[in-house]
Amino acid sequence: MLADAYRSETYRLLRNRTVLFWSVVFVPLIGVVFGIIGNAVLKANADKLAGEEMPPELMVAMAGGPMNLAAELVSAAGNVANPVALLFLLIGAATLYTGDYRWETWRLISARNGRVPLILGKVLSYVTLALVAMLVLVAGALIEKSISAGFFSRPLTFDAGNGRIADAFAMFGVSGLRILQVTMLGLLAGVVGRSLLAALFVPVVVSVLQALSPFALMGMGVANDAWVTFLVNPGQGYDVIAAAIRGGPDAPMAELVVRGWTSLLGWTILPLIGALAWFQRQDLSKE
Amino acid sequence: MSAVIETRGLSKHYGAVRALDGLDLTIPRGGVYGVLGPNGAGKSTLFRILLGLIRPTDGSATVMGGPVGQVSTMRRMGSMIETPRFPPFLTAKQVLNWLAAAHGLNGDPARIEGWLARVGLTEAANRKVRGFSVGMMQRLGVAAALMTEPELVILDEPTSGMDPPGIQEMRQLIRSLAVDDGLTVVLASHQLLEVQRVCDRVAILNKGRLVLEGAVSELTGSGERLRLKLRPQAAALDLLGQKGSAEGDDAVMAAVTRAEAPAVLKALIDRGVEIEEARWVGADLESIFFTETGSVQAPEAIHAG
Repeated sequence: MLADAYRSETYRLLRNRTVLFWSVVFVPLIGVVFGIIGNAVLKANADKLAGEEMPPELMVAMAGGPMNLAAELVSAAGNVANPVALLFLLIGAATLYTGDYRWETWRLISARNGRVPLILGKVLSYVTLALVAMLVLVAGALIEKSISAGFFSRPLTFDAGNGRIADAFAMFGVSGLRILQVTMLGLLAGVVGRSLLAALFVPVVVSVLQALSPFALMGMGVANDAWVTFLVNPGQGYDVIAAAIRGGPDAPMAELVVRGWTSLLGWTILPLIGALAWFQRQDLSKE
Repeated sequence: MSAVIETRGLSKHYGAVRALDGLDLTIPRGGVYGVLGPNGAGKSTLFRILLGLIRPTDGSATVMGGPVGQVSTMRRMGSMIETPRFPPFLTAKQVLNWLAAAHGLNGDPARIEGWLARVGLTEAANRKVRGFSVGMMQRLGVAAALMTEPELVILDEPTSGMDPPGIQEMRQLIRSLAVDDGLTVVLASHQLLEVQRVCDRVAILNKGRLVLEGAVSELTGSGERLRLKLRPQAAALDLLGQKGSAEGDDAVMAAVTRAEAPAVLKALIDRGVEIEEARWVGADLESIFFTETGSVQAPEAIHAG
């Protein structure tokens, strides 16, 4: 039954061109376009900028130093959960999670399937969409980097040493979890409110408040690495886990990573359980 | 006669409102069964409970011997509740493919085209449903209900929004589902004449309770009366007493049995009444409906439950 729910959700999703464009194509496309424009502008003004103070990466780039695509891959994998990508991925999540309320189609499918498989089918279908979107984002970022390398005649290398491929997979995985965590708030809000707008805006508002929460907690004398700070803000949990994967001198202590995982997983699983519990008893004759 | 749907003391309360109030109803297997009632009678509530969309406050309901809401039972049912809606970006064919996937069915293109043909949507098969009229949506909803090859089909207002030829086609389709395919069709409709034509049995609900149930032929036959076009009307009414009622200026309705009719006619002629025409008139479902529900609404308004 879960397989039926997943199959039907994916069938419908693949034919929803609006969602596919905004969630999968748009952000990588503008990323490539703006990246190329930015590098073209930089190249055109290279002479003027010669004596200026610039970030080290930019100086290496302008000097024509080699570009390691493996390092760019890790960087791109860690960047797929950026706020802009998250926002556009939320459009797909909100449409997918609340489509049956909006189109009044629950009554067509709910009588012949269990309610838990119906919701889990949506979540799995969304995971598929998010994976594809993340892959396209990474591919877009690598294409943009390769083209930009051409502007400064930088040679392309692929040095996968120091476990860079494993890091890329780990970053990809934890970024995927972060995306899923944000959209689970959308699932809960969408199911309770039977509304696409709720599924879209509740996660945005909650995420902004969570991002501001460390400042508020610091004002109350709560340390930035305290349990409560992590539990309130899963974004901090994601940042700590990502820093641990990147390693180096800035790598956080294991204790903080545990707090990060607890927060990120908690904010993913609890809204899902809430949505399932609510949906189990929901009157689906009112859509 | 085995029951396909059975409810015992079925109730659904919304605060102080009793949408269903201890409904005891047995719907036999086979044929077309109509559920009638004025606004708020509880028809749609009953259908929604049977489809597991809402839970009853009290009482029980079984469908094909299994409890309501059991997926294995629900998979043997097809349904269309009110005017169906579909994702607007899908074509009619894609809607059926999508639903085939949702129901775990084989989305064989030939079968899907067959169902579209059966509801008259072949030419619109590749059109997006956002451009469909209400009637076309109804047809697609019926195809969606039937494509699961159910044993029981529940249709809420299946002819709503259809033009007269469409209504006739739908009537024929519903009859053929019962007669040719051997399905049990349970429908609610506010078009009482259509119900009378297409249903074998009907139940009339009012205020969440069953007020009348029976075979359409029995219900309409039991109210059979003799319509006499005659003059003078007053003399005939005087003779018939409480068994007679005026019909316009030149006719009376006589509530007599076929056995009593010859004597009544002879008595009228002996009294000097000139009889121009005499014919038997069955009670129609509409008059039964209004009598049983005490409804004063126009038939067009008698739908949502």
